[in-house]
Amino acid sequence: MGLAGHVTRAVTRALLPAAEQERLAGLQLHDAGHGWDRLGMHPDSVKLSAATTRFLYEVWFRVDSRGAEGIPSTGPVILAANHAGLLPLDGVMLWADVLRHTSPPRVVRMVADTFVPRLPFVGTAFSRTGVVGGNRATVDRLLDDGELLGVFPEGVPGIAKPSSERYQLRPFRVGHAELAIQHGAPIVPVGIVGSEEQWPELARIESFHLWGAPYLPIPATPLPLPVRYRIRYGTPIDPRARFSARQADDPGAARALAREVQAAVQALIDQGLRERKGLFR
Amino acid sequence: MTGVLVTGATTLFGRALVERLLARRDGTTVLAVAAERTWPGVQDRRLHYLPLDLTRSRDVRELLFGPARDLAIDVVVHSAHHRSVRAKGRRVHALNVDATREMLQLAERHPTIRRFVYVGSAEIYRVDAALPALIGEDHPIEMSPEMPQRVRDRVEADLTVCVRMGLSPLSIAVLRLAETFAPECGSQLFDYLSSRVCYRPIGHDPMLDVISIEDATRATELALASRAQGVFNVPGADVLPLSAAIAYAKRIAIPIGASLIGPLYTARARVRGTEFEWSLNRRRFRWSGVLDGARAKRELGYQPQHRVRWTAPADETTEPTPRVHVDDTLRATPPT
Repeated sequence: MGLAGHVTRAVTRALLPAAEQERLAGLQLHDAGHGWDRLGMHPDSVKLSAATTRFLYEVWFRVDSRGAEGIPSTGPVILAANHAGLLPLDGVMLWADVLRHTSPPRVVRMVADTFVPRLPFVGTAFSRTGVVGGNRATVDRLLDDGELLGVFPEGVPGIAKPSSERYQLRPFRVGHAELAIQHGAPIVPVGIVGSEEQWPELARIESFHLWGAPYLPIPATPLPLPVRYRIRYGTPIDPRARFSARQADDPGAARALAREVQAAVQALIDQGLRERKGLFR
Repeated sequence: MTGVLVTGATTLFGRALVERLLARRDGTTVLAVAAERTWPGVQDRRLHYLPLDLTRSRDVRELLFGPARDLAIDVVVHSAHHRSVRAKGRRVHALNVDATREMLQLAERHPTIRRFVYVGSAEIYRVDAALPALIGEDHPIEMSPEMPQRVRDRVEADLTVCVRMGLSPLSIAVLRLAETFAPECGSQLFDYLSSRVCYRPIGHDPMLDVISIEDATRATELALASRAQGVFNVPGADVLPLSAAIAYAKRIAIPIGASLIGPLYTARARVRGTEFEWSLNRRRFRWSGVLDGARAKRELGYQPQHRVRWTAPADETTEPTPRVHVDDTLRATPPT
């Protein structure tokens, strides 16, 4: 083990309670030979991220999570959530929440836009914790391997909407529905409340496309606001009950399933909004 | 399988494949062909070695309709290609591409040959951040005209063979092997790690897929014994980040801006004559590209089993190779 490996383990030991370290020892990983999976995920990096996101999860955003017990413990699953915020902190909180609330612990393979792997340092760091590029062949293979995918079916329009339209979902893309039908994977709808207000945007530079980024956001505050996150998981929608795998190529079937998922996510968001007493409570 | 013709037989891969075929003890005859005058491997009464220049059309014709027919060769394993990464020109193209086309065309009307296995490389796949990190057989091919001749030749030879699938009377298999980490195999990673200091792009640490000679030859053996047609990715047992490969080889990694690495390696190649070519690696040393071997597993029964020996190349000891006889009775024409 090199210096980086020693530092990683030391930081993890320092920041993560012993019980949680023991629980995460049961992480499922398709080891490709040297401790990494084929897409670059490494258990030490997952544990380090679990340790370093604790402060954000427990103290800063004080995540209130409900319904995670409904996530199937094995087999291919797709989590479909709403997406908002200056930076993908909602994805980070969802990743941490699922890791905490699944037994044995499951790592959400968050599907990122294709520009994310291009980002120096960020792309590598994300891949070590299980983030994958948003292309069809990769996610197909992950579902074949029985992994848990995390997608934001709104895509970039979800995070690019004005604050006056917060918590109003953009039309869901249908890729996740096609995948679910093709692989017989249940879709777990997820509503995230708090992400829309976490980091107000002052402006954006639309002409900034370095590394393929859609734009460069300018934050109104130097740090994200300590809003309270609410993550609500819905009942899994099992496409096998109504669709055969061959219907994955039927645009009508995929659209119908995507609409159903969108309605479920919207209902979970509305539930979270009703339960909240204020931005910070 | 009664007899196998192996081209490029004196490379490390070729020798290992020949030895593997001889170890089968099922009476298979091996006709080994390469440019070298002498056969550097083991001796066996079932092995016939023929020095031959595959760029000479007449030699190839006389090989196939002479010794290959006499020995009742029924399978061809074509692995010959120019060993130097930097070599270019018509003669290199003649070996890498024209010889492949010639072999295939002649094999199609040969009285005994029934199967043609082309040993290609995963170098032909395009690697990019926007493309899947898992490379299936239908992954985009690297068609950029800026790529060195080595890649363009490999693409052309691969597609030349692929285009005959289903049309040819032969049963054809194309193997796209992960990078073989060994000397004499054109391994860029081996050349890269032969330097004590390795420059790598700062902020990027892609996943690499590396195969051992044992697995490469085992996959080829499975392919030539099979009737399965098509293209097969052949991954290795070593899937790891570039930084880990550098660490295993006990080298010093220096992360620097990607735009600086090219000139540095060009200068190093001019001063020290190394084979490492940055233009061949600039994408795969930034973006991950790992072979998906599901089809080879399903249809050939291949799964990687043997790890690469990550000994630093400079620390390797070169064992003297035995010199054995050349079977002059099978000589088609004198090598040039």
